[in-house]
Amino acid sequence: MRTLVFIPAWNEADSVAAVIADVRERLPDADVLVVDDGSNDETGARAAEAGATVASLPFNQGLGAALQTGYLYALREGYDFCAHLDADGQHPPAEVARLLAEVRADRADLVIGSRYREAGADGEGTDGVIGDDYKPTLSRRIGTGVFRFFLTLATRQRFTDTTSGMRAANRRVMELFSENYSPDFAEIESLQLAVRQGLRVEEVPVRMLERAGGSSFLTPLRSAFFIFKGMIVLLVGQFRPRKVGAER
Amino acid sequence: MTAALLAAAQDPKVHLTSQTRILAALIALAFMLLILELIRRDRLQERFSVVWFVAGLGMLAGAAFPGLLSGVADLMGVRDTNVALFSIVLLLLLGLALNFSVIMSRQAAQITRLAQERALEKAREQAGSVENGKPGSDASVRGTAENDFGR
Repeated sequence: MRTLVFIPAWNEADSVAAVIADVRERLPDADVLVVDDGSNDETGARAAEAGATVASLPFNQGLGAALQTGYLYALREGYDFCAHLDADGQHPPAEVARLLAEVRADRADLVIGSRYREAGADGEGTDGVIGDDYKPTLSRRIGTGVFRFFLTLATRQRFTDTTSGMRAANRRVMELFSENYSPDFAEIESLQLAVRQGLRVEEVPVRMLERAGGSSFLTPLRSAFFIFKGMIVLLVGQFRPRKVGAER
Repeated sequence: MTAALLAAAQDPKVHLTSQTRILAALIALAFMLLILELIRRDRLQERFSVVWFVAGLGMLAGAAFPGLLSGVADLMGVRDTNVALFSIVLLLLLGLALNFSVIMSRQAAQITRLAQERALEKAREQAGSVENGKPGSDASVRGTAENDFGR
């Protein structure tokens, strides 16, 4: 069983090497691919030095296209499972390992790492994670709430962390996402699409950290625009054909 | 007030004057020449020029046969021929702009896929050179290697 862990990175030269090293330590049996989304800095070179395979998009195409590149690589190179996490150090690879365990056990086709879902009473995982816990800003909390509500409404399945960039998937998901992945509204639409295609999507509570470097791109105005766009995307998604008799 | 409205209603139809007709014909001709010139200089592809030629011919026809326009205006139930003209042109431009957005979206998707394919190719080359002969490396990797030998 081969596993690919891919990391979409755009101008993350400062943090990408550390993330790769961490992934290689925590997930020694997985191959690491960095999708360099047209960075202007040394992201690609640093990633290659750190021992990752690098897929460099010739120009910035956005997160969705970068993620799709990862799914496409995993599918074409015959990986059985894949996972992705952010390059900024917010996502502890130890948590990614728990997501992968879910898809490997065939309990789900697509597993989302959720910042907001409460952990079970046994407090599983989260060992050896050092750093400040994730604290969302106000505009992010509003956006999260809106998307949580509408995505849950659209899919009739409870989602708490709709924009999480920490996911694990099997080949069914690779096949779907390598063909259909919205280039500019990847996270939410992909969940809606997966549920509508009859895939088993599951959320697993994970611990995320404050970002190691850089700042979030979300200003209040951009958040508002982001939310507005997201709602249109969800609305349109509801009118896409649903796979009939989707195998479960 | 009412009298003015009645007077307006009894007014004969507002037609295009000969001056505007000549001007429109000249503009239409200049427009079509511009399209030809753009094609000649490879600035415009033929397949995108058809719609503009049709537009130019339409302008010319409107200028040459004003009866055509007033006929259309009658059909639309508009008294002022100019209003009919403007609304038709506006709708056509709206449709054209939408058409271009559709073309742009398709091309954006194509560009993205092209960029992805190129990135994957590079990544495969890199992965192939790092761990040569690893079991499970699929046919596409081997294909790239053969191409390299062939060069």
